[in-house]
Amino acid sequence: MDNLIIEPWETDDLTDEFFVPDYIEQIAQEVLKSYDLSVNSKQVITTKADKGGAIWKLETSSGPKSLKLLHRRPTRSMFSLGAQEYLVKVQEARVPPIVKTKDEKDYVEAGGKLWFVAEWIEPLVPVTKDLEGAKHLCYALGEFHRLSKGYEPPQQSEVASRLRKWPSSYEKMIKKMDWFRNIANVYRELPASTHLLNVVDLFEEQARNSLTRLNQSSYSELIKKGNAFWGLVHQDYGWSNGQMGSNGMWIIDLDGVAFDLPLRDLRKLISGTMADLYRWDVHWVREMIKSYHESNPLTTELYEILMIDLSLPNEFYKNIKEVVYDPELFLNDQTTQLIQTIVDTDQTKWPVLEEIAGDWRGME
Amino acid sequence: MKILMICTEKLPVPPVLGGAIQTYISGNLPYLSQFHEITVLGISEPSLPNLETINGVHYVRVPGQILEIYREGVIKYLESTSFDLIHIFNRPRLILPVRKAAPEAKITLSMHNDMFNPDKISTEEATAALEEVSNIVTVSDYVGNVIKNLYPQATAKITTIYSGVDTEQFLPGNHPKMQKIRNEIRKEHGLENKTVILFAGRLSHNKGVDRLIRALPELSKKFKDLAVVIVGSSWFSKDEVTDYVAYVRAMTNKLTIPVVTTGFVSPSAIQNWFAAADLFVCTSQWNEPLARVHYEAMAAGLPIITTARGGNAEVIQLNENGLVVENPDNPVGFVDKITEILADKSKMQNMGKKGRELAVSLYKWDRVASEILGVWDKAIHTSSSSVPQALTNNDEQLISNALVMSPDPIEVKSSGIKSQNEQNYKMETNSEDEVIEESIILLDNKPEPELVPELVPEPELEPELEPEPEPEPEPELVLVPEPKKEKEIKNNRTKSKLRTLTVRDLIKESLRDSLRMMVIEQTISDMSKISSENSIKNLIRELQKRKID
Repeated sequence: MDNLIIEPWETDDLTDEFFVPDYIEQIAQEVLKSYDLSVNSKQVITTKADKGGAIWKLETSSGPKSLKLLHRRPTRSMFSLGAQEYLVKVQEARVPPIVKTKDEKDYVEAGGKLWFVAEWIEPLVPVTKDLEGAKHLCYALGEFHRLSKGYEPPQQSEVASRLRKWPSSYEKMIKKMDWFRNIANVYRELPASTHLLNVVDLFEEQARNSLTRLNQSSYSELIKKGNAFWGLVHQDYGWSNGQMGSNGMWIIDLDGVAFDLPLRDLRKLISGTMADLYRWDVHWVREMIKSYHESNPLTTELYEILMIDLSLPNEFYKNIKEVVYDPELFLNDQTTQLIQTIVDTDQTKWPVLEEIAGDWRGME
Repeated sequence: MKILMICTEKLPVPPVLGGAIQTYISGNLPYLSQFHEITVLGISEPSLPNLETINGVHYVRVPGQILEIYREGVIKYLESTSFDLIHIFNRPRLILPVRKAAPEAKITLSMHNDMFNPDKISTEEATAALEEVSNIVTVSDYVGNVIKNLYPQATAKITTIYSGVDTEQFLPGNHPKMQKIRNEIRKEHGLENKTVILFAGRLSHNKGVDRLIRALPELSKKFKDLAVVIVGSSWFSKDEVTDYVAYVRAMTNKLTIPVVTTGFVSPSAIQNWFAAADLFVCTSQWNEPLARVHYEAMAAGLPIITTARGGNAEVIQLNENGLVVENPDNPVGFVDKITEILADKSKMQNMGKKGRELAVSLYKWDRVASEILGVWDKAIHTSSSSVPQALTNNDEQLISNALVMSPDPIEVKSSGIKSQNEQNYKMETNSEDEVIEESIILLDNKPEPELVPELVPEPELEPELEPEPEPEPEPELVLVPEPKKEKEIKNNRTKSKLRTLTVRDLIKESLRDSLRMMVIEQTISDMSKISSENSIKNLIRELQKRKID
């Protein structure tokens, strides 16, 4: 057992989404021995088979808990666990408290991965899929960002920071537009290829403009303030990882947190919500930003970065990047439709961004 | 001298998990350890004991992966043992802590990547660290120039020492030891009667194999017998397909010419693929320090096409052993250069031969080791700045900062728990730095630990098949190396010294220098083992091979 290394596992028609290989279940049992818990039942709640991660819900004599197998490198997971502990203990944020092992540790290392137990928060209800719900999410996100400031990772963890990586991630998007073009060119006979070729130049140009604007912005000055000043982003925030509890909004699944300017989470939430609406709505965007601002005030500089990040062809990129994995499957009629929808939605984005561009002028 | 070599925190030495730096250290140890008492301090690895002595080299292994953890182990070790000289590999951030723990030792530094860049080390710390080192050895002029540009004050301390290759492991496909393997591989993969273009390296945007793939449709119009071999990890494995690999695969699937993808190949078997190929192409898009594959391709007698990025072109003598693509971003550059070589079979052959000659005459480990010995010798005999002065308050502060500093914003990419070869974790950065080079690609590497003992220098002659560098025309002259035409000299960026020395000069000079004297003595003693005729001519030839200049 000691030498077993947990690896991603295959799933097929015979396995369901809750399948976890036996050896991992066995390691889980071993891990639980490190805790002073009397476990009545244990049930897989979610799995990440392709990465080698899983979550179980435990019913114990001291209430429901979650047991998590973190798929990331142990030193990386230490960073996230340190953050969770900081948010709970120092900032009293509404994130699930970590349950300590018998020897007062935050986690157990087994199978080459970190495992930990946390409180299972009940009840938790998703917010409504409307503007009110979106505002709740934005407010809670701002609160999370604000409270995460000042986090200092444990000595032995590796520091996850995206703070300096904005230009390179913009560049990567530009670079991959070229991949999309090259693939569409060699797979010209497929239904969506022509459509992709028709629009890829436009979106590449948008990405280039965003990069130029980023380079001219105060970004390089802002990042000098450093990791602890800006705090953490969640990186996987939305309707499922921000939910309403009895005493306010809770934020769960902190495994992917990293230091960053606190804008990417907000940008993702806004552009994703607009994609769900199939059009950009100036009222929604303003209200969402305003809710966020109430819990974590945005400066003029940050607002400018947010505008730049929204100007990226985020939705096009997010939806089309799959093409590299199986062009023959992807470049079908459905994708033609998808591209049309993205283009249509994108056309409603620019008047909105223009309208709100000056909203923060003269702030502070 | 008592010398400590401090490896990086990423991979163990010997290179059981590969790694360019680890290969470099192991390649040199058999030679270095003949002259000095050497301890290699590196990271622990389950398959290796924490303390051992092999062939007179002491190995001490402490926990690693994360620099901060490793640094603790290094300091602790230095507190218990003292050395005349400490040679640090690729970690400027270890210099100040090491200096504090070893105030008397000389410190030399090897740089394999751009680890002095501002996102890797603060200007204050770098400046103070550069003060403490006697010499800095870089794997290419490119790496040295980057440091010189950042810190001009270090210029005088920086020397390029090109890396080496085991020319007995990497052999041309027509070498008797390789013919069978070459034919077998070609048969097994449907490459018989093909002209095989080889790429070996990580499948990443920075390594740029997609540019080669995109050049192929055009090339296949001109040459009907082409095939491509891509030796690199993460092609097939479902869990490790990055978006880049997927992209390259998607582009490859539409090609009409055969493309063989090998997936990961163990460092001990990689020479077989070199022997099976006809042309080597390096497509690097980034400023690469100088990839080891160039030496391996030369040793395998392959003509090389590489890119004008970083230090790669430094080992190319234009039109002699290869060609350089000036703008590697555009696949057309590869179409042009590959066409140029493939269109002229005799040129292609000559380039391969020349590559082998260069590998044998300039890029063997004994040459690398003798240059390192020279640097150490120089360090020991420098009296000025490297004599430990009382540290200033500022230095003290920097050292203590370095010791307590929480990990900096550079993402530490620990190399995982299981074999690096099957890199299990998706790295979260795209930055192509040394960490990646060390921890993921294991292709550019060589020996398995058990090979190491065999590396002990023996003045074997090259197999007959290999053209021995022309014997000097007159016994009184030692040409180091063979004389070159004006044009060649211009192209030769390898800084080989083209001096003509008389035997007397040579001996006189070596007498001045105890180190060189030792090399000569060693050579004589080695030679007496294989030849009863210790003629001065043989000695000269042997010294020439060992590059005593």
